[in-house]
Amino acid sequence: MPKALKYHANSVVYFKGDTNDRIYILQSGKVSLNYNDIETGQDIHELINTGEFFGVKSALGRYPREETAVVLSDATMVIFSVPEFEQFAMQNTRIIMKMLKVFSNQLRRMHKQVRNLISSSSDGIDPEEGLFKIGQYYMNVGKYHQALYAFRRYITYYPSGNYSSEATGMIDQAEQRLQGGGGTPPSPRNTTKEAQEELSETAKKYYNAVSLYSQENYSAALKEFQEIIKAQQSDEYVAKSHFEYGRCLLGLEKYQECIQHFSQMIKHYPKHPDLRDALIYVGQCNEKLGENERAKSFYKKVIAMSSENEVVYRKAKRALRQVEDKK
Amino acid sequence: MNVDLSMFERFAVTFQPGDIIFCEYEPGDNFYLIQSGRVQIVKILGDIEKNIDILYPGEIFGEMAILEEAPRSATVVAIDKVKALEFNRENFEVLMKGNPQIALKLLRLFTKRIYDQKRRFMTLTLSNVEARVADVFLMLAENQVVEDPDEDERTFSATVEDVAHWAGISYGESKKVLNHFAGQRRVEIYQDKIVVKNINDFQRFVNSQRKKQKGED
Repeated sequence: MPKALKYHANSVVYFKGDTNDRIYILQSGKVSLNYNDIETGQDIHELINTGEFFGVKSALGRYPREETAVVLSDATMVIFSVPEFEQFAMQNTRIIMKMLKVFSNQLRRMHKQVRNLISSSSDGIDPEEGLFKIGQYYMNVGKYHQALYAFRRYITYYPSGNYSSEATGMIDQAEQRLQGGGGTPPSPRNTTKEAQEELSETAKKYYNAVSLYSQENYSAALKEFQEIIKAQQSDEYVAKSHFEYGRCLLGLEKYQECIQHFSQMIKHYPKHPDLRDALIYVGQCNEKLGENERAKSFYKKVIAMSSENEVVYRKAKRALRQVEDKK
Repeated sequence: MNVDLSMFERFAVTFQPGDIIFCEYEPGDNFYLIQSGRVQIVKILGDIEKNIDILYPGEIFGEMAILEEAPRSATVVAIDKVKALEFNRENFEVLMKGNPQIALKLLRLFTKRIYDQKRRFMTLTLSNVEARVADVFLMLAENQVVEDPDEDERTFSATVEDVAHWAGISYGESKKVLNHFAGQRRVEIYQDKIVVKNINDFQRFVNSQRKKQKGED
């Protein structure tokens, strides 16, 4: 139960740097929060109004107090532990709403202060240009689906913006790439016209197959990838298709075949960019076949090959944990 | 957190793998609570796509939109087929009333974000570039869960580029300072990690710089 406590003038409720999980409401009297402004270093004394909460952020966030709370004239306050506060707040959602607004205001201010200190070029870019550039990035790396999204958003927000005609052109190109409208790729240099067309045909086929895969139409996707592999037109897309082919087999629950396919792929492309993902899939197939120990060894292998901040590392960690939990 | 969200079914939206949920610089008016699937938060810097975080079911993103329609600060992409509840300022209050646990979760998220930003700010107020870089490692160490807190040597899965970002300096500067530290055998730089030989040494260095700076002001 929250309890009310009396404090004498000139006593301290908590010091800057203290850690505890108490949250206070001032019922009567005067309390000041004293701290140095982080930007100017100026001494700030902030008076708490009666009925106001204080000590909320550091208690909820479990970090040291950032200010010293000093009692200026005899005061009564109600003290909550974090669980008590949470219970109280759940029945008074208005309080949470109010605090959320205060906190998000503070957060905005902090963001701004941080931005002011950084003079790097990537910050301070204007949103219009920023959005267009994101579309360009996805276009350049061949992620047409994502590029389309960014350019379409651009056109929605800036119908007559600086880049609107360029964006419209890009939308056409990206659509052609995705749907196979026979568009030529933007600028592959040093290739003959013919080679260009072949490349775009393969790319189109590939993205079409990826789209089939994402619609969970694995057998149709599998067929497409198989054809790309057979045609051997573009090394890049053949390698990519090998990987996707394996994923389709997994989707079709052909676990044994999937393991065989990925093993061959790894033999053939020992440096395949999706090698570690492939190993995770092989682990999953083994799991499906009841070979949990074997599955674990694949996940461990991936973990050993990756560093902690990589997506694939977390994937493997999670998969490993799940197998271990099975027992 | 065990929350019954069935009453919010009408706010549910689905995304396919690879779908962009929102793009950096877009005006933001919705925020999302993931119900199933994962999303990746990325930032595009020049010609690289940098992974910021991966979020799992039960997590919230886009929450800054609660206050105002400021541009999004990052791009969010669906990794799997993602089902999420989409909220805006209008239906937010309904959500809060029906589900104060989510409101509390947001409140806690905000306290963490504010703290992280303040910490970052403290780093940026250091005028000495070497001290800034050292302080970046102190900040990373504060967020690290270690088995033996008395161990001086710490390993961080950070890159030269990450350090540059946190310290608010250019890649070149970051590299120069780190190489200088490496020459003094205070750090070891690897492709995917940086080892700080004695984190307390960095703490003393930063403390003395802060004191010195205070005297100068």
